[in-house]
Amino acid sequence: MAVLGSTIHLERRRYAKILYVIVPLAALVLQAWLPRVVGQYAWFDLPLIVTVYFALGRRSPVQGTIMGAIMGIFEDALTHRPIGINGIAKTVVGFLAASVGVRIAVENQAIRLFLNFLLSLLSSAIVVFIYHFLLGLDLKWRWFTEVYSAIGNSLVAMVLFPVLDRLQVRD
Amino acid sequence: MESFFSRYRNLVVLLAILMVQIIGLAVQVRRTSDGRSTADTRDPASVRLIRLWAVGLVSPPEKAAHSTKMGIVGMWQNYIDLRHVREQNAQLQEQLDRLRLAQASLLEDARQGQRLQALLDFQHRYIYSTLAAQAIGSSGNLQSHLFYLDKGSNSGLKPDMAVITAEGIVGKVRDVFSSTAQVLMINDQTSGAGVILESTRIRGILTGNASGQLEIVGILADERIKPGERVLTAGGDLIYPRGLPVGEVDKVVRDPDRDAFIIVMVKPYAHLDRLDEVLVITDIQTRLSPKDQQDIATSEAVKGEEAQAIKDQLKASEIMAEHLPGLIDPALPPEQQPLLDNSNPTPVAHPPQALHPDRFTPGSNDAAKAGTSTGESQSQPDSLKPVVKAPAKPQPKSDTTAPAVPGTQKDQ
Repeated sequence: MAVLGSTIHLERRRYAKILYVIVPLAALVLQAWLPRVVGQYAWFDLPLIVTVYFALGRRSPVQGTIMGAIMGIFEDALTHRPIGINGIAKTVVGFLAASVGVRIAVENQAIRLFLNFLLSLLSSAIVVFIYHFLLGLDLKWRWFTEVYSAIGNSLVAMVLFPVLDRLQVRD
Repeated sequence: MESFFSRYRNLVVLLAILMVQIIGLAVQVRRTSDGRSTADTRDPASVRLIRLWAVGLVSPPEKAAHSTKMGIVGMWQNYIDLRHVREQNAQLQEQLDRLRLAQASLLEDARQGQRLQALLDFQHRYIYSTLAAQAIGSSGNLQSHLFYLDKGSNSGLKPDMAVITAEGIVGKVRDVFSSTAQVLMINDQTSGAGVILESTRIRGILTGNASGQLEIVGILADERIKPGERVLTAGGDLIYPRGLPVGEVDKVVRDPDRDAFIIVMVKPYAHLDRLDEVLVITDIQTRLSPKDQQDIATSEAVKGEEAQAIKDQLKASEIMAEHLPGLIDPALPPEQQPLLDNSNPTPVAHPPQALHPDRFTPGSNDAAKAGTSTGESQSQPDSLKPVVKAPAKPQPKSDTTAPAVPGTQKDQ
């Protein structure tokens, strides 16, 4: 039961305030720039990874919700699709990640990667749901592309999470 | 009331943010007359403001990253990796000369086509001016195939301008900001371009599928469509000028939704996932641009020089022919050609007579003369016997009544 804990005993991670701006901005810029380099194999979603990381670390559903919403809306704004589709998906992801972080000790790297994989799939499912059922738009999609993206997110998170862990403020 | 909000604060915040976004989505999507939902092609002012903020936030670092990358690449290409440049330059010059000749030879056909089009009151539109731009970033979303240019309305870009490369078309300008522009690529699902298959002249609509591949839809099943056929722009969509290369047919598959229709998968000529520099067609006119006209004039001059050189060469050949005895006179009928005329007074040179004849001496090979070199030859019918050519007998130079032309007389 070492993994499970109460909301009282789990520590909230703290970071320098500037990191809450720089890291999400860097994620948005790299997400827009890296597909120019790697081409059609851009199976990752850096804003989602950053949202999950901060939501799990801060363990605040409100902060996770707001960060997810901002990241998703900015991501939508860079596309030609309606603004709010990724916003809603990442809002839900941020909220769920923080809610899980409140109840589960997520310092274990494997747990964080598994959560990242699941939340990536959930985000894709929400996007497809919004397109098809909420808006009634015609969007063709392939489920294995979404699985590749979820795997890619986990691989990127495996590298990125330890790097971001080093940036936290310790007493 | 206070305890309710404090107790369910997280859920309230979540629902509030979700509700705002759902309402925002409802503003951006509308129903068409046939009951289908569609996103507005032109953003409302509030949505455009959000896009402007996002682009304003992301574009400067993207431009910096792109400039750094291009600087490193340029330093490598311009200062270090210059091997074989002279050879390439010479090859390109030769290629340019050949293309100029080809262009000049095609010019007459084009002019004739223009005259016919004028008769039909059809106005062909030419690419009058283009603007080179760099691709600096993308949408970062697999479902949204678009990229950003480093030039915007300050450089004269406007929505719906066609974007091309030397290889083929790329897309069209969707939205323009002050210093950047958004280009919707042809392989996006919401994109559409009128195209025509070059040899079969079948028309269709080019669009993208879920995997970002190009496909032509709305074509009835036709066995004439084969892989490798070129696909060109049809010019009917008022965005892409007619005749621009698009790609070639990769394969033909059945349309799963409509039985009688097929989907033609197209392999694009332009490298859509590796774009660096593109051309934006900023102006289309019914006449050629001054630069194109200058190129054509150069081609005609080159063609004129080439034609003059060929003419001089022919003239020199005629002069030489007048001074040399000809074997064939084009003015005479075939039966009176000097080559076949026995009355030709020109003596034919014969080999000198051997002082010590042996078996290699012409006329002394009895076996060959009798056709008995192999036993089979005697049993063969006359029609299958090999024709044995005997060399001409040595004759005195004064004998001009029956000249023997080597290789023209069969052994009797």
